[in-house]
Amino acid sequence: MRSLLNFLVRYNNLIIFLILEGIAFYFLATGNTYQNTRVLNSVRNVVQGVEGRINITRTYLSLRDINATLAAENVSLRNRIEQLSNKGNLPFSTITDSVYKQQYIHTSAEVINNSVNKQNNFFTVNKGTRQGLKVDMAVSSQNNVAGMIVRCSENYSVAMSVINIDFRLSARIKMNGYFGSLTWDGKDPRYAVLGEIPQHVSVNIGDTIETTGYSAIFPEGVLVGTVSDFEKMGGDFYKIKVLLATEFRKLQYVDIIGNLKKTEELQLEKLFR
Amino acid sequence: MINQILKFSLFFILLILLQVLLFNNIQFSGYVNPYVYLMFILLLPVEIPSWLLLLLSFLTGFTIDLFCESPGMHTSATVFAGFVRPYILRIIAPRDGFESGQVPSIENYGFRWFLTYALIMVLIHHTTLFYLEVFRFSNFFRTMLRVLLSSLFSVTFIVFLEYYRKPK
Repeated sequence: MRSLLNFLVRYNNLIIFLILEGIAFYFLATGNTYQNTRVLNSVRNVVQGVEGRINITRTYLSLRDINATLAAENVSLRNRIEQLSNKGNLPFSTITDSVYKQQYIHTSAEVINNSVNKQNNFFTVNKGTRQGLKVDMAVSSQNNVAGMIVRCSENYSVAMSVINIDFRLSARIKMNGYFGSLTWDGKDPRYAVLGEIPQHVSVNIGDTIETTGYSAIFPEGVLVGTVSDFEKMGGDFYKIKVLLATEFRKLQYVDIIGNLKKTEELQLEKLFR
Repeated sequence: MINQILKFSLFFILLILLQVLLFNNIQFSGYVNPYVYLMFILLLPVEIPSWLLLLLSFLTGFTIDLFCESPGMHTSATVFAGFVRPYILRIIAPRDGFESGQVPSIENYGFRWFLTYALIMVLIHHTTLFYLEVFRFSNFFRTMLRVLLSSLFSVTFIVFLEYYRKPK
């Protein structure tokens, strides 16, 4: 008791200071909106920090349960996948191209066989005539040009890759609209060659190349790739090296695009050949 | 004794009025706001009991807060200044010590001593005050600049007032 009193007497100065300063801070914290908010926020931060730590610990302790739940969920999802993939025949979804009045139909398919190291590269997808696929439909991967269907069986179709030396595609420079013919030179599966662009056209590295839609196979504006290099060939044309947007080495899911009015267009054009 | 209390009360009122009516309206470009009311704390007698000093600091700060509509800000800063004053006085005590019953003024201890004293006290007070006002340490150096500039002006005004303080 005596030492407590001694303590109080010795530090009365400090104690009064702390009390008064406490009152002042109380005014400060309650009277001013700004300081009040800051104080509340920092208190809240501290509380949330502590709660976060506690929560992390708690989560760690319950990992076993979480694992069990996830495993159970995995099993049920696997079962769902089996059920769905047995049907396999997702119907074509229809979109209307209102600008060009062309009607394209889309469906998705999975690539089940693929080659990139030959001169004539093809890939196989897991849908065929039963699912509505036909020869000459376009194949795109994440809205990038991938190839076109060349042969269909009941449940499978074979598509010609862009990286096939027989592949031809009408493509244009997006910036100025000049179009040429896209081919593959058989060298590097990452690059294709765009020819027939006249030399007065300005070409820059990085320009986007997209499809034109003249072939009646691909819709207009599907991304092909970007210009990675260009040189002047003999004659009047550029030889443009195009970095393909599609990674053919890891092609997995593709969209099949069909053109409903293709027959009509081709028949009309046949009259003038 | 009564005389002295009266004298200090008058001084208190005068300083508060000066601060509220004149110096609170001086604000150069958001950097300089001189606070001369601290002079009241500076000029209390050297041997004042520290509890009284703290209470008076509280009162001064509180009154200014009432006028500035900034509850707690000046109070905290002034109470802190009141708290450190005895230690400052001990550190910068003149060679032959303080005489009892005297106020630490230019008149008693000379211009240079008073300037040091005022500068230290004002810096402590302003630092507390301005950092409480912004209430964060981002923009640390900008606040520091405000502290330094305002302290400069406050000290100038305090010394000026101290020279023209008529002995009552």
